[in-house]
Amino acid sequence: MSALIRLENISKSFYTDEIETQALHGVNLSITEGEYVSLTGQSGCGKSTLLSLLGLLDSPTQGHYILSNQDVSGLSRDQRAAIRSKQIGFVFQSFNLISDLTVAENVMLPLSYQFGVSRKTMLAKAQEVLEKVEMSHRTAHFPSQLSGGQQQRVAVARALVNDPAIILADEPTGNLDSRNAAAVLELFDKLHQEGATICMVTHDPASAQRAQRSLEMFDGRLVGDTRNTKTRQPVAHNALDLEAL
Amino acid sequence: MMAMLLDLKYALRQLYQSPRFSAMTLGVLLGGLSIALFTFSFLYTTIYKPLPLPEGATAKRLVVYNDGEFDMPTAREFQAITQSANSFAEIGIFRDQDVRLSKGDAGRNFFGASVQGEFFEFSRTEALAGRTLSAQDSQPGAPAVAVLSEEIWEDEFDRDPQLLGQAIELNGVQTEVVGIMPSGYRFPHIARIWLPLPDKVFDVQAPMSEQFNAYIRLKEGIDIAAAEREITQILHTLQLHNQQSYGMEPVQKQARILTFQMAQTGGEGATVFFFLSAVSWVVLLLACINVGNLLLARILEKQKETAIRNALGASSRRLIGQLMWEGVLITLLGTFLSVCLVGAVLDYVNVALRSWLPGAGLFWWQYGLDGATLLMALAYMLSTVFLAVFLPAWRSTRQDINATLRDGTRGAQSRKAGRLSRILVTTQVFLVAILMLIGSISALIANKFVNLDLGDNYQNVMSTRYSTPEHDYPSAQQRLNLTYALMNAVQNHNAVTHVSVAQWLGPRAVYFADKVYSDEQKGIDIDTISMLGDYQATGVQLLEGRLFNLGDTMDKRKVVIISDSMAKRYWPGESALEQHFTMELEGKQQQVFVVGVVSNLMNPKSLFGKLDSADEIYISGSQFVQTLQKLSYRILPGTRNADEIFYQAMYKIAPNLEVTQTVMPAIKNRDKMRESMKFISNLTFATGAFALVLAVIGIYGLTANAVAQRTHEIGIRRAVGARDSTIVRLFMRQGAFQLAIGLGFALLLFALLAMGFQQFTEGLFPVGAYYVMAVAVSAALAGVVLLAVYIPIKRAIKLEPVAALRYE
Repeated sequence: MSALIRLENISKSFYTDEIETQALHGVNLSITEGEYVSLTGQSGCGKSTLLSLLGLLDSPTQGHYILSNQDVSGLSRDQRAAIRSKQIGFVFQSFNLISDLTVAENVMLPLSYQFGVSRKTMLAKAQEVLEKVEMSHRTAHFPSQLSGGQQQRVAVARALVNDPAIILADEPTGNLDSRNAAAVLELFDKLHQEGATICMVTHDPASAQRAQRSLEMFDGRLVGDTRNTKTRQPVAHNALDLEAL
Repeated sequence: MMAMLLDLKYALRQLYQSPRFSAMTLGVLLGGLSIALFTFSFLYTTIYKPLPLPEGATAKRLVVYNDGEFDMPTAREFQAITQSANSFAEIGIFRDQDVRLSKGDAGRNFFGASVQGEFFEFSRTEALAGRTLSAQDSQPGAPAVAVLSEEIWEDEFDRDPQLLGQAIELNGVQTEVVGIMPSGYRFPHIARIWLPLPDKVFDVQAPMSEQFNAYIRLKEGIDIAAAEREITQILHTLQLHNQQSYGMEPVQKQARILTFQMAQTGGEGATVFFFLSAVSWVVLLLACINVGNLLLARILEKQKETAIRNALGASSRRLIGQLMWEGVLITLLGTFLSVCLVGAVLDYVNVALRSWLPGAGLFWWQYGLDGATLLMALAYMLSTVFLAVFLPAWRSTRQDINATLRDGTRGAQSRKAGRLSRILVTTQVFLVAILMLIGSISALIANKFVNLDLGDNYQNVMSTRYSTPEHDYPSAQQRLNLTYALMNAVQNHNAVTHVSVAQWLGPRAVYFADKVYSDEQKGIDIDTISMLGDYQATGVQLLEGRLFNLGDTMDKRKVVIISDSMAKRYWPGESALEQHFTMELEGKQQQVFVVGVVSNLMNPKSLFGKLDSADEIYISGSQFVQTLQKLSYRILPGTRNADEIFYQAMYKIAPNLEVTQTVMPAIKNRDKMRESMKFISNLTFATGAFALVLAVIGIYGLTANAVAQRTHEIGIRRAVGARDSTIVRLFMRQGAFQLAIGLGFALLLFALLAMGFQQFTEGLFPVGAYYVMAVAVSAALAGVVLLAVYIPIKRAIKLEPVAALRYE
């Protein structure tokens, strides 16, 4: 398979009051299409910074980022925004749904930033992905009217709506109880089986083990890259019952 | 107590650490409070404050409304009231008049008053030296006496201890000074010299009875309404008697007992008070909205901290107290500073009015900080604390602690905050738009009056008013002879080019022969002016026919001169000369013939219209002789001591003439009106400008705060692919929506007001002017609102999405 993502000697520094903090040191990484990658490490090791760079939410200080054979490391803000709306899907730890928008409107958001997509198409697509995460019965609800698990499923639906090349998930189960967390992970497994490329930051070794490949970071560097051969833990039937969450 | 001290210390530290926030909040509050407090204090002193006299609160004026029109009682009516009414403890009449103090060839005019004997007792003030006036001084044959103010004693007689008992020349009459009133005493209005009002004013039959100002103090425990009812009944009975005995016109009489201040405003003071108070309240409300919003933004920043404190067991009361301290401190400081500022401005107004106004203004215009102003400052402060401090704090403590403490659900809170912010912006836009639109109309009116063409020309014209009462000049011929003699004496001066005597009589009913009038219909009311002499003295131009002449005597056919507008209105396409009609004059319908047509004059009825909006009829002053006259004479440019021309003539012909208005350049009143209009215009602009500044600060603060609250949302939108321009458009669209709602309601209200105003003023301004005002105000506000949205959003989108997502 060809490499969907290729990072070449990526570094990222932050400056606070002229004090430089090096968050990433010469990271090299390649992720192929359809791969399910977990990214682990201690707090402050640079996982989220790396994910932000992968999601084009931030720019590297140094190095090259090749996404779908295109060097995206030097793109303008609007060019990066255009790529995000078409090729990247985000799932955040804190869901990050917009409180003023309904479930359907939140899900349609990435499509609304693409040119030429009709509202009818957006609605149809939103409905389709909401069905996939079993949230189609809550389309008119506001985020505050949903439980944490339901909000995260809506966030997953939003990440899927633009048929992204890669889904980036930052601690997607961090704010959820074990039952909801298991359900979301199961959803990711399902998406992976359907061919999605996923990169998930997690603290939880068990969650990391569900991915095909585990990357480990330490002090801004990639220090481990292992293929997981372990069979996934079966998920209890009731945990899969998304409607009950 | 310790907890409160800790909270106070914490609040002080917070304010110290945010000097910009503290200064801005204080500035907005100081402006709003100062405008509201100054307006209240100024209006309260002008209209409502008890007179600065002992027992001043019970000293009132008795006025009479004739057919609903504000007026004064006649001497006859006053007599009937004193004889029949039981509700009053003290009552009397007085008249303001000019008094000329002559010293050799030179002279100086002072404001004075003719008063009855009990006048000084009514004001509960004793003479500084000598005595006050008594009832005997008013009796026929009593020697001429006067009471002077301490200021005149000092300025004119160098505090001569021998002045009492000496004779001085007042109005050409040797008058004995019998008393000196203490410094500052200027009761009833602006008097410096007091003369006895002769009892002979009561010796005139009802139809010719003069009108006087009346003062009254009710008996203890008597209700004002009951006293008004009693006096109204007496007036009604007298009116019926006068109708039967003298054939006087039926008039609906109503007695009202008002404060001196209210009577001075023609009974309209309350309307002005409430309108201007409402405007100042709107300004204060705007300030409160802005301060409240600034404090709310601070409180929202501390929302998580508040939730943590709450979770740790702090009660709502404690939390509200804690959150309120910052605002309370700012409000206390703002109120203190505004009281100091308003006190200083009121002191300045006091000094300025005394130096600007002739007679130093009405004696109760003693502006300064007083109990009522301080109480109102307290009320404003408490209102501000409630609206701008308590409400945001209370609202903040009603948050869901779990929701705030839990990540990712801040949306539930910010949604409410966002809605509140939008409502505040919309309200602010509405209020400011209304203020600006009304301010624009006021400025236009002021501008209109400043540049008003009144159709006359008072350059180099001196004018005075005098009275030829019936008790001194019983027959019309005597009064006419006096006027002719005066006119001739003035005309004989080589610096005088034209002399005229006129009296504005107000509307008179006119009937045209080719129209049918039912009994109920009172004809057409047309403003009527009695005129003698050369019209060029006032700048009115003869267009056709002739002026009045000596041949127009009382026994000849009655002639009139009409305005050009009337000629064109009633006899279009033909000459109005020798046309005739009937009009109500001296209590009966009289046929009059048109002998001349003159240029139009702006009369009080058409001040809001054009020169030809209303008509004028001039009747001959030699055929219909008036008691009150206004004499005007045009002088050569550069004539010195022009006022002496009249006084010398007066002393020669009628030294006892009652001069009710000092001789002064006729333009002076006009200039005063224009100056006051300019002042109103400037005041309106200043208030409008401050309101706009408040709006800019407020709207910017609100939108900046709203954008800051949505920084996280901006991060989300950008994370899922929104471009910068998309975000800017989104926020601008939302800003425009709020603008449209606020402005829409304001324009709707303005349209209604403008339609009413236009109807009332008979099309004072072209309709296009209202559109221009609406467009200009809309454009200014749209600029402010959209800029206030654009600047913070532009700043917010500079953040990288990842930083925006982490934004708290």
